[in-house]
Amino acid sequence: MPSPPPDWVKALTPAGPQGSELLAQERASSNINVDNLSELLHTKEFLQRQKQLVELLQPEKVFDKSQNHTLGRVERLQRSLAKAKRLQQLAEQHQWSMEELHAANELIGEPTPYGLHASMFLVTLREQGTPEQHKLFLERAAKYQIIGCYAQTELGHGSNVRGLETTATWNPDDKTFTIHSPTLTASKWWIGSLGRTANHAVVMAQLFIGGKNFGPHPFVVQVRDLETHQPLENVYVGDIGPKFGYNTMDNGFLLFNKVKVPHVNMLARFSRIDKDTNKYIRPALPTLVYGTLTWVRSNIVLQSGGVLARGVTIATRYAAVRRQFQDRDADVNAGENQVLNYKMVQVRLLPLLASMYALHFTGRGMMRLYQENQQRMKAAASPGQDSRGAGPEELRAGADLLADLHATSCGLKALASTTAGEGLEVCRRACGGHGYSSYSGIGSYYADYLPTLTWEGDNYMLTQQVARYLLKSARAVLSGKSADNDTSRILRNYLDRREKGASFDVLENDADIVEAFAWRTAHLTFEALKHRDAEKRSWNSLLVDFWRLSTAHSQYLVVRNFFEAVSTPDLTKSVDSDTKTLLHALFRLYSLHTLEREAAEFFSSGAVTVRQITLTRTTAVMKLLDEIRPHAIRLVDAWAIPDWQLDSSLGRSDGKVYEDLFRRASQENPVNDLVFDPYPWNAAVLKNEPGKSKL
Amino acid sequence: MPDFTDKLSPAQPDGPTTLAHERAQSNVSVKELSEYLLSSDGFLQRQARILPIIQHEPLFSKEKQQNLSRPERFKLGLARAKLLRRLKDKHEWNYDEYKMAEYLVDDVSPYFLHLEMFITTIREQASEEQRAYWMPLIESWKIIGAYAQTELGHGSNVRGLELEARWDSQSKEFILHSPTLTASKWWNGSLGRIANHAIVVAQLLLPKPGLPNQYVSHGPHPFIVQVRDMKTHLPLEGIVVGDIGPKYGYITMDNAYMLFDHFRIPHSAMLSRYSSVDPHTGIYTKPEQPALVYGSLTYVRAQIVHHARLVLARAVTIAVRYTAIRRQFQDRDGDKGGPEMAVLDYPTVQIRILPLLATAFALHYTGLSMRSIYQDTRKDVERGDFRSLAHMHSMSSGLKSLCTMLAADGVETCRRAMGGHGFGGGGGLIQLNNDYLSKPTVEGDNWMITQQVAAYLIKKMTAAANSPDGIASDETDSIFKQFIRNRRSTKSDEAKRDMLTCDRDIVKSFELRATVLAYEAYEQRVHKKQSWNSLLIQLHKLSKAQSQHILVKTFFEALSTEKSLSDSAKSILWELYRLFALFTMENEGFEFFRCNAVTRSDLDSLPARVQELMSRIRPHAVNLVDSWMIPDYLLDSSLGRHDGRVYEDLYNRAHRLNPLNQITFNPNYWEDEIVKGSKDSGASILSKL
Repeated sequence: MPSPPPDWVKALTPAGPQGSELLAQERASSNINVDNLSELLHTKEFLQRQKQLVELLQPEKVFDKSQNHTLGRVERLQRSLAKAKRLQQLAEQHQWSMEELHAANELIGEPTPYGLHASMFLVTLREQGTPEQHKLFLERAAKYQIIGCYAQTELGHGSNVRGLETTATWNPDDKTFTIHSPTLTASKWWIGSLGRTANHAVVMAQLFIGGKNFGPHPFVVQVRDLETHQPLENVYVGDIGPKFGYNTMDNGFLLFNKVKVPHVNMLARFSRIDKDTNKYIRPALPTLVYGTLTWVRSNIVLQSGGVLARGVTIATRYAAVRRQFQDRDADVNAGENQVLNYKMVQVRLLPLLASMYALHFTGRGMMRLYQENQQRMKAAASPGQDSRGAGPEELRAGADLLADLHATSCGLKALASTTAGEGLEVCRRACGGHGYSSYSGIGSYYADYLPTLTWEGDNYMLTQQVARYLLKSARAVLSGKSADNDTSRILRNYLDRREKGASFDVLENDADIVEAFAWRTAHLTFEALKHRDAEKRSWNSLLVDFWRLSTAHSQYLVVRNFFEAVSTPDLTKSVDSDTKTLLHALFRLYSLHTLEREAAEFFSSGAVTVRQITLTRTTAVMKLLDEIRPHAIRLVDAWAIPDWQLDSSLGRSDGKVYEDLFRRASQENPVNDLVFDPYPWNAAVLKNEPGKSKL
Repeated sequence: MPDFTDKLSPAQPDGPTTLAHERAQSNVSVKELSEYLLSSDGFLQRQARILPIIQHEPLFSKEKQQNLSRPERFKLGLARAKLLRRLKDKHEWNYDEYKMAEYLVDDVSPYFLHLEMFITTIREQASEEQRAYWMPLIESWKIIGAYAQTELGHGSNVRGLELEARWDSQSKEFILHSPTLTASKWWNGSLGRIANHAIVVAQLLLPKPGLPNQYVSHGPHPFIVQVRDMKTHLPLEGIVVGDIGPKYGYITMDNAYMLFDHFRIPHSAMLSRYSSVDPHTGIYTKPEQPALVYGSLTYVRAQIVHHARLVLARAVTIAVRYTAIRRQFQDRDGDKGGPEMAVLDYPTVQIRILPLLATAFALHYTGLSMRSIYQDTRKDVERGDFRSLAHMHSMSSGLKSLCTMLAADGVETCRRAMGGHGFGGGGGLIQLNNDYLSKPTVEGDNWMITQQVAAYLIKKMTAAANSPDGIASDETDSIFKQFIRNRRSTKSDEAKRDMLTCDRDIVKSFELRATVLAYEAYEQRVHKKQSWNSLLIQLHKLSKAQSQHILVKTFFEALSTEKSLSDSAKSILWELYRLFALFTMENEGFEFFRCNAVTRSDLDSLPARVQELMSRIRPHAVNLVDSWMIPDYLLDSSLGRHDGRVYEDLYNRAHRLNPLNQITFNPNYWEDEIVKGSKDSGASILSKL
């Protein structure tokens, strides 16, 4: 690394009020109790564990982050595997639970090549394997004696699982399956941990018995030799190459040339082949599989608040330290204004600040629903449900909480991950030029997060499931057979009041805000129903309408969940009344800012008037920005993201933005070790390494 | 190494078959349209001439560049930039040809600032004597320069710069000094490792007349300074300069930091075409026309707007071709056993990609018009007529903000519309996204500079309101005056507009909305005396509305005056115009309605109209993107290949071109060894720290 700068440089400090002073001033301007709010968000246990983990991990050289942005792909992946190994050693040494390992991984800040083994491989074996298979695969996998991944997506097919091309053909003679890739597009693709690390995979393949296709099923297949780690014969496997983000993960491809696996390798908890009769035994409870997906999506919703919080923490702190221009109306001798005082910065950051709280409380609400439902399902698990169709959206709408939960999780997953992903980019740009530096800590995090918008259901594709559910619910309401759930309630309420019209007082009454969002959803639902059922429009031609409907519905859910969270009487137990008032202001800012952005839909549905929208824009939102502004720093402090995790010069909790940018640029930047020959007619690139070139 | 995968081909119908069908189903002539778009200034011919030369050089192969570390990638970037410069000599390329070669290689050149801001500033701001001395050195590349304005603590606010240039009347020198850490120059391209000279912008400090120990600042001024030794290439004594480290993109650019410790430069270093210091008296002469300093910035902005069309066209080319080939799910209302649907037939995909296709054309016309306005303005200024400068400055600010936002967000929208494969290295939009995302914040932050547009429009509206019946001085003035007169009259004068069928009415509608917003801003600022800060959000909307109006109007006028095109080409261009305008209107629907620029029933019909336009454009989508003639070499994309061999190419990159697959890992966590058999105990990995 470059040698330290001369003394005259070391002696320099930033101009004007120091970052540390500005942040201290910000913290003094608000009376929010940060600790109480942190505990409300994260619980005391989480915060304690986080602190201990940082103390344990940060000193270890292998977890150093300073070169993450400069290394080449091959080196990065090697280092990432070294980190993963060390984490696993620590997990063993300290006997970490899954939550602790997960928390440690979050602090490390990048995905590792063990990622899919630790999640999808183990989960799938556990949930879809029989006791015999647990013994054979899961026990060894839990000890990392075999390392696996989950190979579903293919080069030619992602969202459409039924379109997968890999085949598993049952051989009645020797009681084996032949796993085969008939085309190039059948190649498994994107499979995390498979590229260079895993020696086993759960492979989703079309099951063929006697020439008949029974759809995709999971098979455990060994892909690499346990000694040499080389691919087995007739298996072709490798890493798919560099990506937009996620470069510390070895996403892989995988092709089979008629590879045989024994009968026991088909995961058989739900469906199986009878070895003696060669008959296929149907799944007993297909909905359980959807349960896992619902859980995964609910988790994405829950995490989205924290993801966004990282960007908002960085951008808000930086905007409080960064000063640019005197206020145009102020005295000419006034100092420069903190960027956070500019309305056009506030209008980008503070609604996102509100969104991160909104998403967090919504995620919590989802998780609670999911757990309640799991318990109910376990209690009611009984045979006789075989007559169900293929997916939960085919269920009788409203008859089962699962259908509601499934639709909710689809829509919210799409809205929450889009909000978080796009919000990070808004935060990066709000940091102006310095946001473009890797040391801002936002760019690479954004790139690593973006796949979340596509995986576990592409955000656009998912919205169809929400629409399908809402249409079914609306039909049920019209035929008087609706279930007793919230969706049916808002649809019925809309029908009852449609003639009278709505007059929601969104500017004064918080509960009316929630009702206005419900009204818009119901209005769009019946509009869509009219297009589909009365006008007989094709499904395809309505996809854009469905996407808007799903977005509207999910926004309603966020608004409702946020409102419930800030209105619950329990809240006063955890936070003081000033904090509570502020949380209400955040609720209003999220809701009214959303309402203003979607003004046309609110207006056409008749939920609000033009005058109300204009007032929302010119008065209500502006007042809320003023109200929240003094508390902005404490509101991000309360999220309690450790500096080491943020890994950002701009977002440091001590405000030493410029010192840290300069330190990293001059001390941690290997490009400054090189002296270049700048002249085009000298082909040599370097002066201190003449003639030599790797290129 | 041959293996069983060599014989595999993709499932049918494959990419080439699909694209052949797409190309046959449209009557749009790619040849005609591409010549219309890109031939007028010889662009197409140039591209065809330069491309084979570039592709012939192994150094320009893009196959493995995504895997390199920052230092390696930077070295590659410099080696390429050097070769390009040598090829310029070898083939006697002119400026445009050289830029074409750079465009195809697609690295941000570490020489960029030398070729642009450095040379432009000397040309525009140096005195004749200074030009005579420096221009030959620059043009012969005897010196290599950069432009150092932005600092660690100050970007947009140029007047807040902290670096000092203090006049020493004894030695007749300026003393450059960085009093604080935030005074460090920062972000200055080409300066981190490459340049040996730089234009340095510093606060000019001169002694007060009669008080030689008291200094007064005359604001930021440009100086030319040697920063590195011409032999050793090491920084001169009293200067600390280096690269600022990794960034979101621009990996081949050495953006710099730079600090000065009482560093002395001669009197002649201050560029003195417009303002100067008398070396004998220390007295300062002011520029006659301060707005001139904005000249080169305006030029850069015009260039950025003109380039945005090609950026977006590139993204859309990839997205349209790939989504035409990619199939997923059967049509829900169709035959369940039939082939899966092309992703581009989903309206949820169309609505992300097709309006961007239309936007690329909108940017094309506005880019052309901005260039010619810039040239006219420049001629005026050279003649000493500064009247059109304010208009040009305002327009370039607003359009730079809007157009870079459209292109940057458009690239990302296309990337995401391609699902998982858009995230992969074979998508071809990663480096484009990374590099282009600098644009919304450089050369004036996109949010900050919209204030300039708004300030200008408020000024124009004030003038119009003060004399609504006077003779209009320009087009804006005439629109504003008419608006004020209409407001004055009591009768309902709004002619009924028909947005859905009349193309001219669409322009009128955009004009009215921008004018209403300008009037509201004027009212609030001038009459109600509202604080500037409280109006910023509104002013941003005003700038956007005004710039959208320009885009729509320019598109409309270009098509209305177009005489040479065939009917089929012309009619599809009109559809693109309508899609761009109505899609934009739909997104801002409530604002149009509030401004009385669209009726309630038209507003409600917009979504259906937009979808109808998309279905009309859909069959021509592939031919329309083909017309931008972006070569495969530049696309560097498996997904966007002209021949449609998407999956074969993705596999080839993953399997054969990926260096990671030459390494075998040891996956056991209880063994520290990372590379199988290396017994490295992880040590080689940690040694880099």
